[in-house]
Amino acid sequence: MLETIEKPAEDKSNRLGITRVGGRLISEYWEDLFTARERGKKIVWYNGGALNPMFQAAGLAWCHGEAFAARLAAQRVEGPAQLAGAEYGYNAELCSYSRTHLGCSVLTLQGTEGDQTGVVGAHDQEVLAAKLPAPDFFVNNYAGCSTGQQWDGISYRVFGKKLPIFNISHPFLWGNRPDAGYLRGEEWEDASKFVAEQLRNLIEFLEQQTGRPFDHDALCESMTHIKRAAELRREGLALCKAKPAPATFWDWIASVAPINFLPGNQELVDYFAAVRDEISDRIDNGVSAVKDEKYRLYFDGIMNWNKLGFLSRKFAEHGVAVLAGRYIQNAFWQEPHLIDTSDPILGMAQHYLLCPTNHGAKTLEYLTLRDCEEYGLDGLVFHSTRTCRAFTGPQRLLAKAAQDKLGIPSIFFEGDVADASFYKDGILESRLVAMLEAIDVRRERGALPDGFSAIA
Amino acid sequence: MTDASSAAMAKLVEVARDPRVYIEQWRSGHAGRPVLAILPMNFPRELAHAAGALPVIVQDDQQPITEGRALLAEFYCGYTRNLADQVATGRFDVYDGVFQADHCIQLIGSADIVRSLKPDTTVFLGMLNTSMNDPWAPRQVSAMMRRIRAEIEAFTGNPVELGTLRDSIGAYNRDRALIRRLLDERATGNAAFGPVELQDIITSSMVMDPVEHHALLTDVLLEPRRSERDDRVRVHLSGHLCHAPRRELLEVIEDSGAAVVDDDLYHGRRYVSTDVAETGDPVEALGEWYARRNVTIPCPTRVQQDVDWDGYLVDAVRVSAAEAVIHLVPKFCEPHMLYYPELRKRLDAAGIPQLQIETEHEGIPLESFRTRIETLVERARRRRPVHV
Repeated sequence: MLETIEKPAEDKSNRLGITRVGGRLISEYWEDLFTARERGKKIVWYNGGALNPMFQAAGLAWCHGEAFAARLAAQRVEGPAQLAGAEYGYNAELCSYSRTHLGCSVLTLQGTEGDQTGVVGAHDQEVLAAKLPAPDFFVNNYAGCSTGQQWDGISYRVFGKKLPIFNISHPFLWGNRPDAGYLRGEEWEDASKFVAEQLRNLIEFLEQQTGRPFDHDALCESMTHIKRAAELRREGLALCKAKPAPATFWDWIASVAPINFLPGNQELVDYFAAVRDEISDRIDNGVSAVKDEKYRLYFDGIMNWNKLGFLSRKFAEHGVAVLAGRYIQNAFWQEPHLIDTSDPILGMAQHYLLCPTNHGAKTLEYLTLRDCEEYGLDGLVFHSTRTCRAFTGPQRLLAKAAQDKLGIPSIFFEGDVADASFYKDGILESRLVAMLEAIDVRRERGALPDGFSAIA
Repeated sequence: MTDASSAAMAKLVEVARDPRVYIEQWRSGHAGRPVLAILPMNFPRELAHAAGALPVIVQDDQQPITEGRALLAEFYCGYTRNLADQVATGRFDVYDGVFQADHCIQLIGSADIVRSLKPDTTVFLGMLNTSMNDPWAPRQVSAMMRRIRAEIEAFTGNPVELGTLRDSIGAYNRDRALIRRLLDERATGNAAFGPVELQDIITSSMVMDPVEHHALLTDVLLEPRRSERDDRVRVHLSGHLCHAPRRELLEVIEDSGAAVVDDDLYHGRRYVSTDVAETGDPVEALGEWYARRNVTIPCPTRVQQDVDWDGYLVDAVRVSAAEAVIHLVPKFCEPHMLYYPELRKRLDAAGIPQLQIETEHEGIPLESFRTRIETLVERARRRRPVHV
């Protein structure tokens, strides 16, 4: 255990300063949510794709289940929620997002006995897990992972089957038809229309829950801001192809929350403009994200939220710039051109379908190899995310494809999204060192394929 | 048993335990007709049967997982890792195509292994809507059934004529009804077949042509059956939603003083719970069958707010007069793990003793299970009224 909290002798990481502003925005958002009921707001719990623009336009306060579980893990205060979940009966091998969030449900219910505020009792106020206000209703928007629908279905039961629930069904993009491919083909078009239709039904549901007409103009306005923020995010990501890299995967991980669930407004646009500008300034001034960058790697897997800072330092210690990953390049409004800000429903539906767990391995292979080539990467690190079968399913196939088609190696290490007990530092350390040595040997032999010239 | 019925039962056991032999025999007698690998749980096999194919539900073949470990993570369920292993070691080569209708991300992962390792094999995923209360669910399911029909037709090169489809539906219904009769007899106390024999009967029905299976099972049942009643504790087995629990586990349960009187296992009552309507449009009937299956025996892989697996379980226990429930939870089965606390709460409230056993593909600690099952049996026995 001690080794996982030891810091490297020298911190060679140089994280973006602007992410501290993102951290402040995130904190403000959660504080705002914790007190939303006191301000007369209705509260929706939701999972999966970023429905927050819908809720924003409906005048609701929203809690994203995975996001809250991730926040607890990032702050290392997930324990009470997971303990409550375990005592309720949830197995430790169950998706740690879901059992953390369900544990919050249990805590919230316990706290609201005899208390109609929806906020758990004061004795637990210091524990973040217990501050989550109870929902007025649920919306499920889970693509890809077959556990997502069940998670909200069970939340509905834990709360006594008394609260309304709305579910959006997402066809898995298997990609087998002759015309199938990323963002194209009959399967894509059919699924897009089907989900868009359900989003229109969701609007009716929200009107029923709020008792007021849905504000379509507000949705367009919110999505205009989100589209612009997403464009700036993509510009910033593209700038990271520079050598040495001006920012890394870990900076983008720190910026997941803003793009994933903060309100669509000018503040969000300003944040991502500032991210892009800081990266651009770094390029202009020759500032790199990793001191003495020597290797460039891909990171596949959902983030191990307990270890964000630790992992950023660990990889930097070895001269590794982690630059791309399925969780960054291929998620979170990653195709802003799909959004028609005057009628954003279809583009929103398409983004929900583009969840990186909602593709068959064929499409994921295309995306992963594309990103490896574009960022000039030397290898891949697969976070074998213990309780996430959705993300880990195709990883072995992706590793094989990278080796066979690009000639670049991979390693796997075990960890989890929101349960620190699964992380094995010794395994990551030894495998990472071995892979980097192998990369060194290949460079000396000049055996890297075209486009993968040595950096150092 | 007569020689005929004994031979018939032996054949069912043989097919259940080594489907590949039967598949090869069937193939040699049906030249040019394809054998389809069907992944559980809800694929409408009738459509494939009507197109002249043999739709075989792929079994967990109980071989140790070797190469499959390099293809799927160790925290995938044993069944899906076993499927990957079957593909990697050539044991999957008896199938001409793979067809799946369920959205289980672990099953999809194993299907992706097939697609990657056997790129020339058709691997079809026609995902049936799993959110059952949505107003658009019936339309979506109906459309998917039509799409599956079209895909089957394209794959086999044979049209699925509606009359032929009705015949296939009738054949599967008759086979289901016959198996269901045995399960009903067991629940009423006439446990002529033990849980392993019943599993063999049901597994063989997942592999064989339904007409052939029905004929063999009819032979098996020609003999009068008597059950020896004893004072063993009556238990209901719950879980294992898509593959069979290991036979040795069933044996340990009965060796420990329990008698299995009912179940909601996939290789049990769940599989034969629901017939397809034989009137009206048969393709539409298959969609209705899919929806009704989840009402007859609710499944945690579906989301349906107005049906409850926990409620079903309590009712089933009352009907069969089971004295305890054993939950058989395959390790890493997320829908089951998510729902389990609801089951536990409801059974506790109803005062029904219960035991959870987490199963694996291999390396299951049978003696540890035996101790726990014996404890459950003892608990249940102590609850019996004392006769003075």
